[in-house]
Amino acid sequence: MRKKLLALAALAAVLVAPAFAQGGKENTTAAPAKEQTLDVYSIMPEKYATVIFDAFTKDTGIKVNFVRLSSGEALSRILAEKGNPQVDALWGGPSDTYDAGVKEGVFAQYVPKEADKIPANLRSADGYWTGIGIIPLCFLTNNNFLQKNGLKAPASWQDLLDPKYEKQLQMADARTSGTATERIYSLVKVMGEDEAFAYQKKLNKNVQLYTKSGAGGAMPTATGQAAGGIFYLVDALDIQQQGYPLTITYPKEGVTYGVEGSGILQGCKHPEAAKALMDWASSAKLGTVMNDNKICYVPTRPDIQISNPAMDLSKIPLVEAESTWKGENRQRFIDRWVKEVIEGN
Amino acid sequence: MADLRREKTRMIQKDPGLFWALLAIWIALGIFILYPVVRLVGMAFMPDGHFSIATLREAFQDTYTVKALSNSLWLALAVSATGTILGYLFALLVTRTAMPKAMKALLSAVTLLPLISPPFTSSISLSLALGPNGYLLKLFHIPDFQIYGFLGTWLSETLTYFPVAYMVISAVLETMSANLDDAAMSLGASSGRILRTVTIPLSMPGIANSFLLLFGSSLADFATPLILGGHQFPVLPTQAYLEITGMFDLHSGASLSLMLLVPTLIVFWLQRVVVGGKNYVTVTGKSGAQSAFSPLPVVMKVVISLVCALVLAFVLYLYGIILVGSFVKTWGITNTPTMANYQYACKFGRKAITDTLKIAFVSTILGSMLGVVIGFILQRKQFIGHRLLEIGSMLNYALPGTVVGIAYIIAFNKKPFLLTGTMTILVAAYVFRYYATSIRSVMASLEQIDPTLEEASASLGASTAGTFLHVTVPLVIPAVLTGLRYLFIHSMTAISATIFLVSVRWTLLTSRILESMTELQFTQACAFSIILIIIVFIADGLMTWALHMYSVHFLKTKEATK
Amino acid sequence: MKERAIALQLRNVVKAFTKGGKTVRAVDNVNLDIEEGEMVCFLGPSGCGKTTTLRMVAGFETPTSGVITIKGKDVTNVPVNKRGIGFVFQNYALFPHMSVANNIAYGLKTRHIDPVTIAKKTKEALELVGLPNVAERYPSELSGGEQQRVALARVLVMEPSLLLMDEPLSNLDAKLRIHMRTEIRHLQKKLGITCLYVTHDQSEALTVADKIVVIRKGVVQQVGSPREIYHNPANAFVADFIGQANILPLQVVKADEHTVTVEPAKGHPFTTRKGAGFSGTPDAGTPANLVIRPENIDVLAASSEGIPAKVVSAIFVGSHIEYELSIEGIDKVVNASVPSKPEETVWDEGEAVKLHFDNEAALVVAS
Repeated sequence: MRKKLLALAALAAVLVAPAFAQGGKENTTAAPAKEQTLDVYSIMPEKYATVIFDAFTKDTGIKVNFVRLSSGEALSRILAEKGNPQVDALWGGPSDTYDAGVKEGVFAQYVPKEADKIPANLRSADGYWTGIGIIPLCFLTNNNFLQKNGLKAPASWQDLLDPKYEKQLQMADARTSGTATERIYSLVKVMGEDEAFAYQKKLNKNVQLYTKSGAGGAMPTATGQAAGGIFYLVDALDIQQQGYPLTITYPKEGVTYGVEGSGILQGCKHPEAAKALMDWASSAKLGTVMNDNKICYVPTRPDIQISNPAMDLSKIPLVEAESTWKGENRQRFIDRWVKEVIEGN
Repeated sequence: MADLRREKTRMIQKDPGLFWALLAIWIALGIFILYPVVRLVGMAFMPDGHFSIATLREAFQDTYTVKALSNSLWLALAVSATGTILGYLFALLVTRTAMPKAMKALLSAVTLLPLISPPFTSSISLSLALGPNGYLLKLFHIPDFQIYGFLGTWLSETLTYFPVAYMVISAVLETMSANLDDAAMSLGASSGRILRTVTIPLSMPGIANSFLLLFGSSLADFATPLILGGHQFPVLPTQAYLEITGMFDLHSGASLSLMLLVPTLIVFWLQRVVVGGKNYVTVTGKSGAQSAFSPLPVVMKVVISLVCALVLAFVLYLYGIILVGSFVKTWGITNTPTMANYQYACKFGRKAITDTLKIAFVSTILGSMLGVVIGFILQRKQFIGHRLLEIGSMLNYALPGTVVGIAYIIAFNKKPFLLTGTMTILVAAYVFRYYATSIRSVMASLEQIDPTLEEASASLGASTAGTFLHVTVPLVIPAVLTGLRYLFIHSMTAISATIFLVSVRWTLLTSRILESMTELQFTQACAFSIILIIIVFIADGLMTWALHMYSVHFLKTKEATK
Repeated sequence: MKERAIALQLRNVVKAFTKGGKTVRAVDNVNLDIEEGEMVCFLGPSGCGKTTTLRMVAGFETPTSGVITIKGKDVTNVPVNKRGIGFVFQNYALFPHMSVANNIAYGLKTRHIDPVTIAKKTKEALELVGLPNVAERYPSELSGGEQQRVALARVLVMEPSLLLMDEPLSNLDAKLRIHMRTEIRHLQKKLGITCLYVTHDQSEALTVADKIVVIRKGVVQQVGSPREIYHNPANAFVADFIGQANILPLQVVKADEHTVTVEPAKGHPFTTRKGAGFSGTPDAGTPANLVIRPENIDVLAASSEGIPAKVVSAIFVGSHIEYELSIEGIDKVVNASVPSKPEETVWDEGEAVKLHFDNEAALVVAS
């Protein structure tokens, strides 16, 4: 009896491990009976997702478990888990991510109840995904810096080439951030491809740091470490709302915009709860929650009252870039950017 | 030779408890250490089921990756050099100068800070202090310099890892015999000469060990370069991290990991050769050295004191930024004190906090149990495959966390070991990585305990397990506590391996902090960091206290065996 | 002598270690029979393999080859805790984290005996070793001698079939050692327990043992009673190791079944007993050693009959006069110890004397 205690102590590690694994699985298998929970991969930042899912739970009683992932990782995980999805829905993230997933057959078709209130270009034609927010690119600059250097807030892409910005701009790295690829799409749409890369090569002189995430440069800009940068409006507004002396402007040549999507995974464990989330998201409730909590995605429903005038799309020089075009060119643009802008210097 | 081999086989026959324990340990090591590494290597060499070096060749042809490799190595070299020097200065200050007790306690506490905080907290405050338009730059009217890149990463890693050097070296300096100093002095040596000819040469093992430890730590650190490396200074672990979290490209993540594996294994091997695998880091931070050593030359003492004071002040300043940050609403703008960040952390971070605590708790308990058993077996038992077990059980500790993390997601993503998304995978990552200290301190402690005590127990009729539980374990409790402490600290703060393993159901405080940092919730990130530091500090204090209480009681009775 | 059962048997026991790639035999083909109730001492210089042998009997070490049987049962592969032996360690090995009572009760607890019996037996054991009042103390609060007794009590309480002691007295001071060795001998006789006792101290072995096993470099040199070992050493090593002896390398002049004649000095043949180490009768010219103890040499005036020698030094030590003498043709100095009486002549340095060897006490052994 005592003889085996030593072995038991060592075995404990092995035995306990599967026990936890079991515990983990029970959660997912026991739940469908009530359908009170929903598992989600969120590409939308955690701070917004927590608030939004909180409101959703309050409205529907469905509890949401989620983990935040980058769009690349989320897509890869979903593809890897095809046939046995670990989550029920994907939340947020650029529409081209959804298009790529649709091609692989990982999304289920579902047209939310109020989908017709959302313009057709902001949702999948076949009902695979539905837009939940619009985010144009913008310039964000630090007021103190502008004042000190006698500059006006940039109003054109060319303004950013001013030598006064030398090593003062922060923006995202195309290898890791969708904000950066959106920036390249905008430039290519506005200038043409070769000119766009020639421009970025020049712009590189003024760049202090390419950040890993799209919003990474916003805080340094706010605190004066950097003079400014190019961001999605949602990130720029978020930091501006915190009270920092910042100005948001748009290049008169125009910017493209991203559409944040949402979709249900094929063969998921809680389809009804997932549908409830999609219905809720396409109703006026999501827009209201975002507006009330100062989450600055421009709602996809044009009928939502927006209190922040900065989010009035009619005042922004938007340039169209189709999601399919983005998807086809994405990797090529990134490679070219690395070669010509990063390694070419 | 054949006879000797048979003799070892028979020893296992004689000790069936050992057989079962070894079997259980090998199964555990096989699943959680060897299998993932094999899968990692397989992923790099056999991307589509056939052996091919294409992935690896691709990696070596990519100039950016090659640059990352050489950057990693240079950075590690620089960090281990400066970290060791700084650690040596601190060790000299503590062991070779008379210092008030309170000062020593303060010093210990401050040097503990970088060890018990998440690896990137100081990076953020460093960029605020010395980054473009940084506070310190403005204060001293220093022109901007490019902190992003080698400089910032090197500075931050040096500040993070020098306490390890300090602990390793001061342990060596403390145990050095003061008689040697007396002897040298009686032969007419000045205090400077003693330092040069006695103290430093004798502390070479400590210096070598510290150098290698820091080299390994820097080589594995992905968080610091992630924040401070910028785009001009790629390093391997960060690139591997980005490949996985950005693109979820397991193949290139695996081949980058493999590139990291080679220098790491060289360091691991060197460490075994140089210090015989016996020296080890513990977070004991032994204090209260005797002052019979020859004093340092006055000029030197002043210089060292100044350097150390400056470094301490700087570390405190960096953590001060975090502390202040956690109490303000908007960093740098609205400086009125507020508890809003803590309320936020408690509301939206509660799951992360409780998950982390649960995971740390389970990892600590399982890890130290396993550590004691393996340490005991390695130190006291002879069997075939002894060396293999020693190396195998320590492998994950030697590997960079990024490599372990990537190996785990590759290995446990599919059946037969479908563990992604479970607590098991997180616990296993911590246990099989950080129980190394437990193993080593138990082994060191057993070395001090006369094996006749266990033989006495066996000869009185106790089984292997009975002896282990009633004699060995009570005697190695201090070592067990040391292991516990280390395991807990790492389970609370380490991120390099587990960042890949968080899931919908299990999340970690550290990854929550990293998330907050990238989501511009700087003040909230500060609050999370402070909460984490306080939890660890309290737990650490409790364990130190327990260790102290036990030792006081224990030392009284320990004399008997000597 | 009456026939007694065999308590312990070692057959061809070998223990080899690999050291720097070479295999070294620490214990080399040991064969031994030990009878019930015997007190057997393993005696030899440190590193001779005596402790290793003892540890193999205990089960702490596994023989590389050979068989060990206890009471007729092969225990070679039986673990320590199943052998029913008791082991007393050089450093006592008392558990520092347990009180004396718990130390003694430790073994009984592993047998799942009821607490009342355990308490009773513990008390008896402490009384047996003469320490009835230390039960609640901790080992660190005891003196060396007391710790030794507790260690003994802890083993005796188990009533082992075989008591093994590894240099049990070497950590005590000289006076206490002498006291304890008689006490151990007394206890062993009283309990009738078979006991194996390892020591490097020949006087301890001589006083304590029924039988002495002299070991050198892993090989058993001689097994015998203390008297046999002392008076009939099998070879020069045993003779040298036990007590003091002059060992003079010589050549056999002639020999028969019981005696050997050697010639310590030219023209002075000396015939004495033939030692046990010879196989058969040695031929003339065979190298051999004459063993003669200092107390068996008489130093006489030069005018007397005997072997001529010269005094190198003479030291008066009270009861004796210790001479160092040189014999022509022999390189070694010969020691003689002559009882000192008031009327005895003391020879000075450089004086020529004659030596008389007691041929009853002397012995020729194989070299």
